[in-house]
Amino acid sequence: MDYAPARAGRPIGRPAGRRGPAAKRELIPLKILVAGGFGVGKTTFVGSLSEIPPLSTEQEMTALSVGVDDAAAVPGKTTTTVAMDFGRITVDHQLILYLFGTPGQHRFWFMWDELARGAVGAVVLVDLRRVDDSFAAIDYFEDRRLPFAVAVNQFPGTPAFPEATVRDALAIPPACPLLLMDARDPRSSLDTLVALVEHALARSATP
Amino acid sequence: MTVDGRYGWQEGGRVVPAYAFTHGRTRSAGEELPLEALVTTTELATQNEPALQMEWRTIVNLSVRPTSVVEIGAALQVPVGVARVLVSDLANAGYLEVHLPRPSDADGGPGHAILGRLLDGLRAR
Repeated sequence: MDYAPARAGRPIGRPAGRRGPAAKRELIPLKILVAGGFGVGKTTFVGSLSEIPPLSTEQEMTALSVGVDDAAAVPGKTTTTVAMDFGRITVDHQLILYLFGTPGQHRFWFMWDELARGAVGAVVLVDLRRVDDSFAAIDYFEDRRLPFAVAVNQFPGTPAFPEATVRDALAIPPACPLLLMDARDPRSSLDTLVALVEHALARSATP
Repeated sequence: MTVDGRYGWQEGGRVVPAYAFTHGRTRSAGEELPLEALVTTTELATQNEPALQMEWRTIVNLSVRPTSVVEIGAALQVPVGVARVLVSDLANAGYLEVHLPRPSDADGGPGHAILGRLLDGLRAR
């Protein structure tokens, strides 16, 4: 069958004016993942930026995770739920950004797959006293080619290391932003998001 | 909602399991809605609001302001899968308009123009 090619300059999709003069504004949802180990400051980070108090939602665990979690212990039960924090930033009249704090453990990767699909990118929060928790997240985002920034959350007593040492220890690719920050400080958290989006934008220009 | 803005039925706890309002379905008929998909209340919903069942009314009232599937789940205290089913049913009934993400790069992420606007918006904060 022959289809006429879309004419240049004419948007594909909804014909103009179909919804009349009272048409509601077009809205575009966006999301950024906030990953990292337990207690690294994901909820604090989301809370420092969100215009709503950070909420928690339950996400079903699917059959994929059966056998590696509690679901296996419940006969006949193939799903269970995990809690996930999220926050929201209204960016402009069209764009609404959601931040999802994602559980760091391997057994939650099935959730990351869904969350990572279509995401702007991810912030990997790191506690330098417990770097092991960060490797899984860094590997995951690298494998999925999702832009990410590594944010070292500075807890009191965090040892000071040169950037090169941290980059090396965490095997962070050269192009990936690495920031020292304080997740309790909204400015610092916002700077981290800005660094991530700059990185994502630069990558989208050079596929 | 009650005068203090809470959902009245939360006060006494739920007497019906979450999956009962979806008639046992935990998956919506169509494509799975992303967690961040936004919904807004239509004029039809505003007109019919008093006649709607409780959970539908709650969603319709919340979505007067753009609200995501994940926020609806949190507000109703139901798992996201249940929120998806409720949202799809309301959308199919013409009570909600759904605003999906617009994947435009090769990996399904937002395109260059949208990323640029996001960056401008964040920098302006």
